[in-house]
Amino acid sequence: MKATNNHYDVVIIGGGVVGCAIARELSKYKVKIAVLEKEADVGWGISCRNSGVVHAGFNYKPGTLRAQLCVEGNKSFAKLCQELDVPYKKIGKVVVAQKKEEIRELKKLKAQGEKNKVDGLQIIDTAELKKLEPNVKGVAALYSPETAITSPYLLTIALAENALRNGVSFFLNTEVKSIAKLRNSDFRINTNQGEFISSYVINSAGLYSDRVAHMVEKDKYRIYPCRGEYYVLDKNASWLVNRLVYPVPQAGSGGLGVHITPTVDGNILLGPSNEYIKQKDNLSTTSQTMKMLSTEAQKFLPLISSRDIIRSYSGIRAKQAPSSEGGYWDFVIEESNSVNNFINLIGIESPGLASSQAIAKKIVGIINKKEKLSPNSNFNPLRKGILRFSEQDEETKKTLIKQDPDYGEIVCRCEQVTKKEILEAINNPLGAKSLISIKYRSRAMMGRCQGGYCLTRIIDILRNEFGLTLEEINLKGDNSYLFIGYRSDEVNKL
Amino acid sequence: MKEREVIIIGGGAAGLAAAVACYEKGIKDILIIERESHLGGILNQCIHDGFGLEKFKRILTGPEYAQQYIDQVMEKKIPFLLNSMVINLTSQKELLVVNREGLHSFHAKVIILALGCRERTRGAISIPGARPAGIYTAGVVQNLINLKNYMIGKRIIVLGSGDIGLIMARRLTLEGAEVLMVAEKLPYSSGLPRNLNQCLYDFDIPLLLNHTVVDIRGNGCLSGVTIAQLGKRGGIVPGSKRKISCDTLLLSVGLIPENELSRQAGIILDARTGGPEVDERGQTNIPGIFTCGNSLQVHDLVDNASLEAEYIIEGVVDYLRGKLKTKEEIKVSLGEGLRYVVPQRLVNHKDTIFSFRVIQPGKNKNLVFEDDKRMIKKKFLSRVNPAEMIRIKLTSQELKSIKSIKVRLK
Amino acid sequence: MKKEFTCIVCPNSCRITVEFEGSKIKSIEGAGCPKGKEYVKNEITNPVRVFTGSVLVEKGNFSLVSVKTPSPIPKKYLKNIGEITHQIKVEAPIEIGQVVAKDLLDEDIDLVATRKVNRKNILLF
Repeated sequence: MKATNNHYDVVIIGGGVVGCAIARELSKYKVKIAVLEKEADVGWGISCRNSGVVHAGFNYKPGTLRAQLCVEGNKSFAKLCQELDVPYKKIGKVVVAQKKEEIRELKKLKAQGEKNKVDGLQIIDTAELKKLEPNVKGVAALYSPETAITSPYLLTIALAENALRNGVSFFLNTEVKSIAKLRNSDFRINTNQGEFISSYVINSAGLYSDRVAHMVEKDKYRIYPCRGEYYVLDKNASWLVNRLVYPVPQAGSGGLGVHITPTVDGNILLGPSNEYIKQKDNLSTTSQTMKMLSTEAQKFLPLISSRDIIRSYSGIRAKQAPSSEGGYWDFVIEESNSVNNFINLIGIESPGLASSQAIAKKIVGIINKKEKLSPNSNFNPLRKGILRFSEQDEETKKTLIKQDPDYGEIVCRCEQVTKKEILEAINNPLGAKSLISIKYRSRAMMGRCQGGYCLTRIIDILRNEFGLTLEEINLKGDNSYLFIGYRSDEVNKL
Repeated sequence: MKEREVIIIGGGAAGLAAAVACYEKGIKDILIIERESHLGGILNQCIHDGFGLEKFKRILTGPEYAQQYIDQVMEKKIPFLLNSMVINLTSQKELLVVNREGLHSFHAKVIILALGCRERTRGAISIPGARPAGIYTAGVVQNLINLKNYMIGKRIIVLGSGDIGLIMARRLTLEGAEVLMVAEKLPYSSGLPRNLNQCLYDFDIPLLLNHTVVDIRGNGCLSGVTIAQLGKRGGIVPGSKRKISCDTLLLSVGLIPENELSRQAGIILDARTGGPEVDERGQTNIPGIFTCGNSLQVHDLVDNASLEAEYIIEGVVDYLRGKLKTKEEIKVSLGEGLRYVVPQRLVNHKDTIFSFRVIQPGKNKNLVFEDDKRMIKKKFLSRVNPAEMIRIKLTSQELKSIKSIKVRLK
Repeated sequence: MKKEFTCIVCPNSCRITVEFEGSKIKSIEGAGCPKGKEYVKNEITNPVRVFTGSVLVEKGNFSLVSVKTPSPIPKKYLKNIGEITHQIKVEAPIEIGQVVAKDLLDEDIDLVATRKVNRKNILLF
């Protein structure tokens, strides 16, 4: 897919939630923008694989970018999700102390949060905790009513689709190999899909932001991958908690501890764990970690059963702190001081999702100072997602089927996803056609049978309605094909 | 709201048998609701033989077995809906059905749940490792190969020696693939002995007991797995890990009765079977809702699923005539040696067929039914195996005036 | 020589012990019925199995029809027949029991359909 007119004002390297947020934010101005993403879809690096928490902002040192951008992002998140038709639930969080000594830490967090201008933080005692969360064990807790949850993958997709609609070009399966500075100070970006020329480069390459930075400047940054494994619990277990339940963070660790996080769809996430690993793309889950997750989770929620587990997966944090140090460094969001117009975003780990729009605005600010951007009067902030049949009331369901019988055909029975939704998911504006892309957009294959019922049906639709050949059917990009061919080749002669 | 006397949810082996049995007992106002585009359920993809010996005294393949019932349904003009999924069931026996024609509400005097079962997934058993393409449950591969003409790989490893895994090991071999082994984490196979014979030994496919998959590798496509031996306490035997390259991992690690609708309706399930708790006529805790087949308990022989369905129709008929007693319930207690018993309670003292599975294989055991200290019945079993369901009938004479009942294996 | 077999004819899976010398059978113990005796005799001299598989369908409402050999065939031919099924095509409509391939491998091996397949777009059963 070679760009025909490949000159851009801004090229964003990395189509994660931050890259897509920046794309959308920039598209509010008259700027020609391209997003280069090496995977077959947006968000497949870090963004789709986290807990989806919109943090309130009490976990971060006052004065840091993390604190500032998180609080700013949190406050405008509801509006963002409304505009983009993305699920958002302000369910609140309790940080639970299991021992009396931990209450001091809770008070510290509360004070820190208040300094960061987080609203509504309260310390509650056992009795109040029991009222809020009858199944959780603890001696006291910090209650944060402003903490919310969203769908990290739907948000990333929605940001991308809205940016696309507002004129941004997306290039998937496009990996940046090298970057050269041209005489006129533009950048020539070489990728596996051809060349791009751009005045500005925004490096939001997540786990590989260090590698991209080093394409133009001296070895300044280093990203250490730190893996977090999760368990996903069946919706039937959703009664266990009403809001996010976190332990008191242990100082020096690389994460926030093993959390219990409800998802917007009614599942529960246990995790993530915290393990520095060698390879940036090692998304394996390990048996030791999985055992640890169950044990840790049961400390808060004794009623959790392994029978409720439907799946496990992992995500990788882009940490700047090496394993010997642990903990967090602040976000690096700045123009390179050696290369003009090259803006680096390094180490965007938690609260990257909550901060995404605030980060995007900051980037726009950096460019605006230099360029005096003029507004794009055609900018439309609204984007409609795929209508979920399962969430409608009976009357609406009847009307939908009448208007389009494809709503009457259930393809994913666990999540009640209809053929119409699958068709829309496959027909997505970004052109992503792998099974995981369909899964994220439609929710098919995310239920307890994990595709046991719907996989064959989705394959039928891809073949019969979209004419995909056997070789083109893949799980997550070209090199993850499902079939080696037909059982009997004679079918080609029919 | 459309009214029916009997609605059967599921048109597979159990649902079809229930429908035909209802008709033969004089109930004509029946409706079968089936989500596929054809009747027969999972039998349509079970193209191997071994079905029908008890029911029809013939050895049939799955589709042929299904056709026996489908022919009767067509002949008797029993109404059925295809491509229709029940999305809601209430304890008042109201259903919501979705199909391309719209959303339909039904109410029935009797509902028979014949929902079948689903396969346990990789996610549910938490196999560590990567998530490449090439990992499937056996039933999905059976569908892709037998119904769709797609080939999934050349070097296959099967995890789990359940019948579906064994059948697919043979099937894949006959289709030209190399099945490297079947790994089973228990010290004995979960499949029927004759399947070990005709699926593995016939083709020199090794069966590794006490082995499981402990790691999965592959970025896009599966490139290999690590097999390890399990010790007595379930831990990995040191030094036993082995890396094997393969392009397909087939999982045959258990079937789970499908009961989401049951849960919705407030039906009490038995954690040991995964299906509803029933009395001897297959009635759940909700009067008028019955269940049979794989959604009640996972069967190893389809004949038994059909026989079970036919057997519960007596209860359905009694219920419709207002003759089903629901007083003086006696709980069936489970003693040592048995994983589960169906039915879980008795309300009648009529002839009752009990179904069991044992916990471990064994020889020369006695199945003992007791009422407190008094022995009701003893049955000698020369060979018992968790893979083979045991069905035993106790007569009304034997069950007369019992105050309690406990079953155990000695 | 003594060998134990698990009979595959019916769900009883009788364990049958056979004492034999070459292809001469001395004694059979444990068979629950004559079919079992027949089975173990064959296992020693000429093991046979029923083949089940599928072949392509033209103009049908399903893309494959399941097939079987009407009677057991020598075990050694199973894989070969499997390969051959890849070359066979049958046109719908197809009835259960219909012969879809005759005299395969020159060994008088037939394949019969085990599923009813209608012409495409016709809704009959």
